[in-house]
Amino acid sequence: MTAIRIDNLTCAFGELRAVDGISATIRRGELFTLLGPSGCGKTTLLRSIAGFNDVTSGSIWLGEKRIDSLPAHQRNIGMVFQNYAIFPNLKVADNVAYGLRARRVPQAEIASRVEKALQRVRLEGFGSRWPHQMSGGQLQRVAIARALVIEPSVLLFDEPLSNLDAQLRTEMRVEIRRLQQSLGLTAVYVTHDQEEALAISDRIAVLRGGRIEQVGSPEEIYRKPQTPFVAEFLGGTNMLPGVAGAFDGAATTVQACGATVSVPGKVAETGGKVLLSIRPEALRVARDGDTAILKARLVLREFLGQIQRLHAELPDGTPIRVSALGAATVSIQEGASFGLSCDPAQIVAFPAP
Amino acid sequence: MKEFRLVITAIALVLLALFLLYPLALVLDASLRVDGTGGFTLGNFLRIFSSNYYLHSIRNSLVAGALATVCATVLAVPLAFCLARVNVPGRSVLLTLASLPLGLPSFVAAYALVLLFGHAGVVTSALRDIGLPIGPIYGMPGVVIVFALTLYPYVLMPTIAGFKAIDISVEEAARNLGGSRFYVFRTVLLPVVMPAVMAGALLVFIETLENFGVPSVLGEDRPFLAVDIFKLFAGEADSNPAAAGALSVLLIAGTSVVLLIQRRYLSKRRFTTNARSAPPLLPLSRGWAIAATAYSWGMVLVSLLPFAAVLLISFLKFRGPVMHWEASIGNYIELLAGSYRPLYNTLILATVTAFVATVIGAPIGYVVARHRGRLTAVLDMAGMVPFAVSGTVLGIGLILAFNTRPLVLTGGWLILVIAYVVRKLPFSIRSSAAIVHQIEPSLEEASINLGVSPLKTFATLTVPLMMSGLVGSVILVWITVASELSSTIVLYTSNWSTMTVRMFQFLEGTAPGAATAAAAVLILFTAVPLLLVNRRLRRQDGTLI
Repeated sequence: MTAIRIDNLTCAFGELRAVDGISATIRRGELFTLLGPSGCGKTTLLRSIAGFNDVTSGSIWLGEKRIDSLPAHQRNIGMVFQNYAIFPNLKVADNVAYGLRARRVPQAEIASRVEKALQRVRLEGFGSRWPHQMSGGQLQRVAIARALVIEPSVLLFDEPLSNLDAQLRTEMRVEIRRLQQSLGLTAVYVTHDQEEALAISDRIAVLRGGRIEQVGSPEEIYRKPQTPFVAEFLGGTNMLPGVAGAFDGAATTVQACGATVSVPGKVAETGGKVLLSIRPEALRVARDGDTAILKARLVLREFLGQIQRLHAELPDGTPIRVSALGAATVSIQEGASFGLSCDPAQIVAFPAP
Repeated sequence: MKEFRLVITAIALVLLALFLLYPLALVLDASLRVDGTGGFTLGNFLRIFSSNYYLHSIRNSLVAGALATVCATVLAVPLAFCLARVNVPGRSVLLTLASLPLGLPSFVAAYALVLLFGHAGVVTSALRDIGLPIGPIYGMPGVVIVFALTLYPYVLMPTIAGFKAIDISVEEAARNLGGSRFYVFRTVLLPVVMPAVMAGALLVFIETLENFGVPSVLGEDRPFLAVDIFKLFAGEADSNPAAAGALSVLLIAGTSVVLLIQRRYLSKRRFTTNARSAPPLLPLSRGWAIAATAYSWGMVLVSLLPFAAVLLISFLKFRGPVMHWEASIGNYIELLAGSYRPLYNTLILATVTAFVATVIGAPIGYVVARHRGRLTAVLDMAGMVPFAVSGTVLGIGLILAFNTRPLVLTGGWLILVIAYVVRKLPFSIRSSAAIVHQIEPSLEEASINLGVSPLKTFATLTVPLMMSGLVGSVILVWITVASELSSTIVLYTSNWSTMTVRMFQFLEGTAPGAATAAAAVLILFTAVPLLLVNRRLRRQDGTLI
């Protein structure tokens, strides 16, 4: 089922093409996240779905209806703003009722729907408060209730958690996800926080420079990044330059940083330059009996509680990061050499640009 | 929203073109014709540049303006620092009092100086009696003193805001790197507020060039540009519209250049350090604290002294031009003996203008604050132009433009309201733009997103949120219209005379008593609303100018 279809959409501001020919399909009932660094066009894309940006070319479809030239107030698409945008001159209940009044819903129905919406976000009884009497987290809930109560066909979230402190952010994230799932809402969610995106999404689109780099489930884009950018943006990775060797029908040997690694699949023509992405947590400090694929020298060890991070250097000077569980004993002295082993299946190779 | 923006911009530009640019074009046209109506000539300008009298007039205006600007700045910056950073007793009262001179009519202060230090002034006579003759206050010294004392708030207000916007960490970093307090003030604090100081100072300069009332009261024999323009245009004996036009063109060219510099300077050099809260008060030694208190209170009280003196003197008895130390309300009786009309006229004109200017200015301020683009930049600039046009010149232009068919507007109240609205438009645009800057755009987007059309969102959400700015605008315009003299003196008719004109006439004649009563009424009209809404106005002052 298709909820939103974006077809070759371009939004240009003068010379700058903030959104540059994006096509995407968002399915009914899924939480679809636009993820990327600032300036990648994610907010512009979201705002053009809401109708706050002029679209330069391309089209946006809501089900069977083309909406890109429809005025913003006629789209029936709910939106939760980054700074909540709670009307300071209206009480909480009136904020939530705002969209219903605009739709000329009968007064009696408004009261019951507002109360129900407030209940949903666990704010029952707060209707008679003024916005300035509410905390940031509560205002966030009011903003969600206000967007939900109009029963929008799609709900947009513009970095909704970025103004909250770390703990509240994690709590709200779970709450938003459960609400979205229990109501079967179609949602488009914008964030620059990769952890938030991985945690909350059904599918993620990673954006860069106004274009989509990759669309997929959190697992897909984390485990099988299609571009070096996606690999680096999600979770961070070690990027090792190398040269492809022969392809034996199942795997390709790659010479990288003085080591020979066997990577599944055909990576490039023999002699072609490649980049190997090896996640820090895919690397292990080799013990007796393991086959070490890389030799490294420990530069610095950071103990972070759950995990510890080893900053090391390959013989040719390339820095490499290794994550080990916090509970593991690492008995290597800074400056000492050690071997690294890795499951070849967890190595991803890209043709070098 | 785009249509709304375009409609507002179009209306604003048409209004300004019709009632500002067209009249000014006619003034320019008159300046380039023989006798103002004949064939093309540059003779009017040549005559001005070869006439010692007019060269003097230009030089006097420039010198008085420059001196007054320097004095106002030198007086205001330390005061701003004291009010922003020193625990001066009664700071909030001081702030209120310090904003008063902005609204009070400056020619009243000029007249107070005459009453106190003029040829027959109270102080002059008293000192003469004890054998201490003082020099005349007329001419340059008096004009500079009055300008400096009445216009310094233009520098004071943005500078206070500037000092308050400096994050304490910037200062602490400088101290931490080894700067003494004074060194830090000189090398960090002062440079950071300098753009605000300069912006205010340039406005002071513009105001001095345009001001008609002060030099006409205090100038005596010295020619000043704004006064000469009026005399050349309206004088019975030596009327010369062409020369008036030429001088006007020079005046507007001067003020426009300064305004342009001010806008450019402001736009390029705005340092912000994003203070999350105002920096804390400085711990000062007892000596310094006393000095700061004495300076702050002294400065503010001295600037208000002329107005207080006028209020007091208005209740003394006058026989002809001679004052007697005897309480009396005779001056007020004399003032109102003729007719209540001028009093009513002032109230009516100020009220009508305040609402019209706000209704026109608020949407313009909204568009200017909300949208960045070439068209809105034009609108922003156009909305500021009236600042550069002296009231006398605008009045002359309006008469040239609307004295003949097809559109005859002169001779009634409408032409006065038009002149006031055009002149005060920058105030209402600025104060509504200032408030719009404080309203998150996402609030309007949220409303539109929830299904309310943009126009209805503006009317039902944005306007209520702008209300405090709109009230500020109404009051500010009301006050400045009530004390407006320079365009009124050109445009009024006997039926539509105002308090300021009456006061001016009493001065020109020999009825100083009635003049003091008129001045007292004007002080009342301007001071009371200012004090009432002071808090609201003060919050916006930094952005207002």
